Amino acid sequence: MITILPLAAGAAIYGFAFGLLAAQVGFPWWGVALMSSLVHAGSSQIVAVEQFAASPAVIGAALASAALNLRYIGIVASLSDILDGLPLRFKLLAIHITGDENWALTMSERAKNPTIGAPFLIGSGIVMISVWTLSTSFGAIVGSNLPNLEEFGLGFAFTAAFIAWQEGYGVGIPDCFLG
Amino acid sequence: MSTDFWVLIFVLAAAAFSIRILGLVAGDTIKASKHAWILEEIPGLIIISLVAASLTGQGLTTWIAAGAALAIAWLSNHVIWTMCGGVAVFALLNFMGSQGW
Repeated sequence: MITILPLAAGAAIYGFAFGLLAAQVGFPWWGVALMSSLVHAGSSQIVAVEQFAASPAVIGAALASAALNLRYIGIVASLSDILDGLPLRFKLLAIHITGDENWALTMSERAKNPTIGAPFLIGSGIVMISVWTLSTSFGAIVGSNLPNLEEFGLGFAFTAAFIAWQEGYGVGIPDCFLG
Repeated sequence: MSTDFWVLIFVLAAAAFSIRILGLVAGDTIKASKHAWILEEIPGLIIISLVAASLTGQGLTTWIAAGAALAIAWLSNHVIWTMCGGVAVFALLNFMGSQGW
């Protein structure tokens, strides 16, 4: 479970940046917290708020956001085995708190150890949604007086993590490159 | 907070949750069909898509760091080592670039 913490740290940086953006558009910190806890879809929240800032048409922002979220059809569908047998309320909780990071971590760990299941998914999901909600709210409160954390490579953490997980699925370096 | 903000938040929340529900229904439907094997392939497919989307249009620094991360992942098969190594290479390349090396 501790493996979710570096990912949570990466999400916190994005969350903080999103909070700054949302505050500039006019969202109060509690509005940002409400959105983060109810929507819980980082990249689509960023796109929606950017769209909303450019043109305050809710439909356009919602459609742009929904298009980004379509991958969750596949992500949640792939959880079918993990969620099997859970009461409906736990299924609904689990799919709401599932994000790219805790989903990929759960599937990667499950590929190594089939006993990994719903408790791991839900536990890591609770960590991620809590960190996301708190960091976005904090970003909205604090304002824009921090250095650009992207240049220190922290934003690259997600890409590196996904590269590690694809190794777990056997999508590694083609044999022709290995001699 | 104006009405538009409230509407945006609740429309986004409804859309996001509806898509997740759709995934839940799709998963159960596919699992009960002869195409259940698709569910086994989805995770790898989505992860590769996320990596590709992360790298598309990025500069040389990101691609070199991605190559380093891939090498570390291949050698260690460990998420944290891969993240630390990839981030370190990325930061080092940025530092070298800022120093004019």
